[in-house]
Amino acid sequence: MTRRISNFKRFVMMNPIIQFFRFLYLSIKVLLIVAGGHGGTRKI
Amino acid sequence: MAKIVILGAGISGHVAASHLRRKLDNTHEVVVVSPNSNYQWIPSNIWVGVGRMKSDQILFPLAPLYKKKNIGFKQAKVTSFFPEGDSDNAKPFVMAEYVSEEKRGETEKITYDYLINATGPKLNFEATEGLNPGTNKTYSVCTYTHANHAWQGLQALIGELKQGKEARIVIGTGHAKATCQGAAFEYILNVEQELRRQNVRDKAKITWISNEYELGDFGMDGMLLSYGSNIMKSHEMVEMVFEDRDIEWILGAGVNKIEDGVAHFETLNGEHKTIEYDFAMLIPSFSGHGFKAFDKNNQDITEKLFKGFMIVDADYTPKPYEEWTVQDWPETYQNPSYPNIFAPGIAFAPPHSISKPRKSPSGTEIFPSPPRTGMPSGITAKLVADNIIDSIMQQKESLHHKGSMGNMGAACIASAGFGMTKGSGISITTFPIVPDYKKYPDTQGRKLGKTFGEIGLAGHWLKLALHYAFIYKAKMKPFWYLIPE
Repeated sequence: MTRRISNFKRFVMMNPIIQFFRFLYLSIKVLLIVAGGHGGTRKI
Repeated sequence: MAKIVILGAGISGHVAASHLRRKLDNTHEVVVVSPNSNYQWIPSNIWVGVGRMKSDQILFPLAPLYKKKNIGFKQAKVTSFFPEGDSDNAKPFVMAEYVSEEKRGETEKITYDYLINATGPKLNFEATEGLNPGTNKTYSVCTYTHANHAWQGLQALIGELKQGKEARIVIGTGHAKATCQGAAFEYILNVEQELRRQNVRDKAKITWISNEYELGDFGMDGMLLSYGSNIMKSHEMVEMVFEDRDIEWILGAGVNKIEDGVAHFETLNGEHKTIEYDFAMLIPSFSGHGFKAFDKNNQDITEKLFKGFMIVDADYTPKPYEEWTVQDWPETYQNPSYPNIFAPGIAFAPPHSISKPRKSPSGTEIFPSPPRTGMPSGITAKLVADNIIDSIMQQKESLHHKGSMGNMGAACIASAGFGMTKGSGISITTFPIVPDYKKYPDTQGRKLGKTFGEIGLAGHWLKLALHYAFIYKAKMKPFWYLIPE
């Protein structure tokens, strides 16, 4: 059964005020994951 | 004093050139060889393809920037590699043929101390019969010129829909082994939104066609992700979005032939089917450029450098899917035969796919090839540049900087529609890109907190912010290097 997007969820997704705060949160979270470092996987 | 030659001026080549130039003094030479005169920010091609951005907003000419920054630039395409030099030349070199107006057809031996092959993929339209952007009602958004054509085609169709015509739009992958499903995913959602904006959505059926086994595979074997307070699989998230937008889907489809308005495809269960359409955007397969390599005696040594794409420090031993590990993936992107040659970004040959390989009963392999576009391209290019810088400074080989796709996160901020108040984006981050089933056995090889999805207007703003930030960075404006790859 495929999930559906509820009307409340759609309101949250498109509300500019709520989304402004999501934008700040998302920017920081993405930055931390992407710039949070990378490295090898093999033991030397 | 060292001479570093970079082949290609896409995301990977340009990142490597800009970091090398910033950190090396002018006694060292940095030279970019690329057939393209412009830098283009490829992720925004999606918006060019729906007419919401002009192509000049996503590109800028390379020559003036490189002149200002003291980076050599040759508008030429490389034809062959001579990593040991030849009988006339003791230094390694590449043979290049100019494509610029003033020197068209002239060839030059470009010598180097270090070579970065960042030539990316060849868009292998020929691998699918009849797939040629702008013909047979099919289009592509892989380059800005393709995206311009796609918008012209879509605009003409929208005009017909306004006259009352009913149409089918097909978007997805145009080959059984194509990759870059993310770009097609973004495009289908943007086209859907554009039709709604133009009040003709009810006139068009929109169908997703893909070589993925499940929706949301994206060439990364799908993922388990956190979405708000839920934990769901990526296929559930994409199904939810497609249901919401009334988009149908066909999966496990290897498109093998295109005729005027008809796509022929084989499915994983062995059926041969067709789908008719009035407009299609199909991503081609990617391949290597077919470069040749020769030793100093002019003997063909192509197999030491290339395996389709360039051979690097990966484990290419053939083994079954169950035995694949993240350790198979390269860490330094250095060619094992010639340590002064590196291949970051899409130019390196992956050890195997990330998605589980699947075949139809007739033996046709139908599954996505591994993606290496965008962010991993930038990260791998920077670490290659940093290792070369360290090697030059320390006057001995240094491979301190490492970045395996099995220990690297990626953010895919997929546009789902353009507009400051009506836009939408689907943000998916994944860590690591190549699933590590030993480290994260209970979460399908990924770290849950760092693998998450988010849908909404904020995603559009973020993608737009990244567009401006990365063009600013590519133009090497003040403090550009503070923006991560």
